[in-house]
Amino acid sequence: MSVDPTSVAPLAVTFEALTEPAFWIGVGVIAGIYTLLALGLQVNVGFTGIVNFGQAAFMAVGAYAMAILTVKAEINFWLALPLAVLITIAFGLLVGLPALRLRADYFAIATIAMAEVVRIFAQNARGLTGGNQGISCAEDDPTLCYFNEWREASDWINDNLVFFWSDPEDLFPLLLVVWATAIAATFALTYFTNTPWGRVLRAVREDEDAAMALGKRTLRFKLQSLALSATLGAIGGFFFALNLAAVYPINFEPLVTFFAFSVLILGGLANYKGVAVGAILFWFVLEGTRFIDLPDPPFTETRIAALRLAITGLLLIGLMAFRPQGLFGKKEEMVLGE
Amino acid sequence: MSSPAAKSAPAQARNGALLDVDGVFKHFGGIQAVNGATFGIAPGSITALIGPNGAGKTTLFNVVTGFYKGDRGAVTFDGNSIFRHAPYEIAQRGMVRTFQITKSLAAMPVIDNMMLAAPDQPGERFMNLIVRPGAVRSRESEVREQSMELLEVFNLTQLANAYAGTLSGGQRKLLELARALMARPKLLLLDEPMAGINPTLGKRLLEHMQRLRKEQGVTFLFIEHDMEVVMNHSDRVVVMAEGAVIAEGEPHEVRGDQRVIDAYLGETQEDSTT
Repeated sequence: MSVDPTSVAPLAVTFEALTEPAFWIGVGVIAGIYTLLALGLQVNVGFTGIVNFGQAAFMAVGAYAMAILTVKAEINFWLALPLAVLITIAFGLLVGLPALRLRADYFAIATIAMAEVVRIFAQNARGLTGGNQGISCAEDDPTLCYFNEWREASDWINDNLVFFWSDPEDLFPLLLVVWATAIAATFALTYFTNTPWGRVLRAVREDEDAAMALGKRTLRFKLQSLALSATLGAIGGFFFALNLAAVYPINFEPLVTFFAFSVLILGGLANYKGVAVGAILFWFVLEGTRFIDLPDPPFTETRIAALRLAITGLLLIGLMAFRPQGLFGKKEEMVLGE
Repeated sequence: MSSPAAKSAPAQARNGALLDVDGVFKHFGGIQAVNGATFGIAPGSITALIGPNGAGKTTLFNVVTGFYKGDRGAVTFDGNSIFRHAPYEIAQRGMVRTFQITKSLAAMPVIDNMMLAAPDQPGERFMNLIVRPGAVRSRESEVREQSMELLEVFNLTQLANAYAGTLSGGQRKLLELARALMARPKLLLLDEPMAGINPTLGKRLLEHMQRLRKEQGVTFLFIEHDMEVVMNHSDRVVVMAEGAVIAEGEPHEVRGDQRVIDAYLGETQEDSTT
């Protein structure tokens, strides 16, 4: 990293990049994707009381299913999307059926194991997933890529945008679509939560035995909750794949789920509108600290990367200390135990 | 311990019983918690289930309501076998229970606790939210109205929008009972409904039980340690000791039964001194 002659101070932050639209669009796309992932966690953790640590697996299954269906089975991209969602839901139910019988903390461990199984399977099933090289375009036909149809749609959006913005950024259409989806999902989930169906979910969160004693088939509701987060995870996975133009196993490490949990805690449990705010804040801090410029020895790039995570972690710890309910959570709901 | 069959009271008036428990066994490891319990509950009756601590009363409740899977035996409710069926299924058939330690849904408002219990809400099926929103809404307003009426009866109207977790222990007991009634039960199983309630509230609760029986034909089975309540407010008493039913009959019959005095009534005096 070259040291800018103007920045002689030991701790210098250059804010130039912060004024670039590309930076904001990049942060916005990631934040939108994490909004979708954390909304899924909100349904599970915040409203059903099931601790799902396997959101990365739903993303992976969704993204890989979409890429494999398009590139290997040569199914149209737009048809592959709903099919991949169905595959992810089926996968979620398959995992949930045995695992949801476990107690909350054991379910959490089972889901994290499940997510690792998926990722390691993707690393090793080279014929299907391309192993560590991942999937971007078909090996025998480089023009056959899963993102071709999206590129066309994206270009079409930008072609129409030139009336408002002379030179729109490449990723801008993705930003629009990601956030339109995230906002629609936020409204839809808020609506569903305030229905009799959502009331049963909350009852399961509060006391599953009490809900059963009132004639509620709780396993069905827990599976539906899991199916919803699988759907949101798969959609998040699609956007991830479109953002990077490739699907690699490394994109689905447990860290992804932990980041989504950080977003959830930041925004507050049992509140959907906090999720988007939490995601924007989290990614603004994590990406914004990219521009902390420290003298190279001793601060190598890897050390700065670690430092950024440490700063983000400290911020989260500070939040927990002073506002344990998160930005939009309700404190009274946290302290109301039995 | 002699054989459970010899200890069990002979089945009385079992024909036409709303709930029939026949030779139910349940063990945990080496402990035989329910040891061939046999008794019947006539429709429209109020039955007290008494016995010393550890007699297996709550375990029997859990087996009858499906929360524990019984080892063997038979349980018939309203003419259908419900032995080892799922708790939600048994509740849907009209046997609703409360718990010894109240299970209020703490971070949900009182009104939501009530509305949750209502049966036949099409809006509990996800698809109906999309395809039948009208039916969901109209049922919802019906349910809200019924909930408010019941809360009125239990003096909880003012607390309708409060979180259930902010209620006092006694109020939670009342809420749990009111909530169970929202489920339109044929038979209500109450596990120590009077425990922790002040005498005035307790009296109200007992009056409600009598009224519900009279007006709506609800049948009650309740576990109780307060012998005054048992003697004055139940039609029949079932006495359990060591997992089996040792006596069954009208309150005054049971009070004079030597086995009951040996196993329980004598013991309660001992209990109070320790």
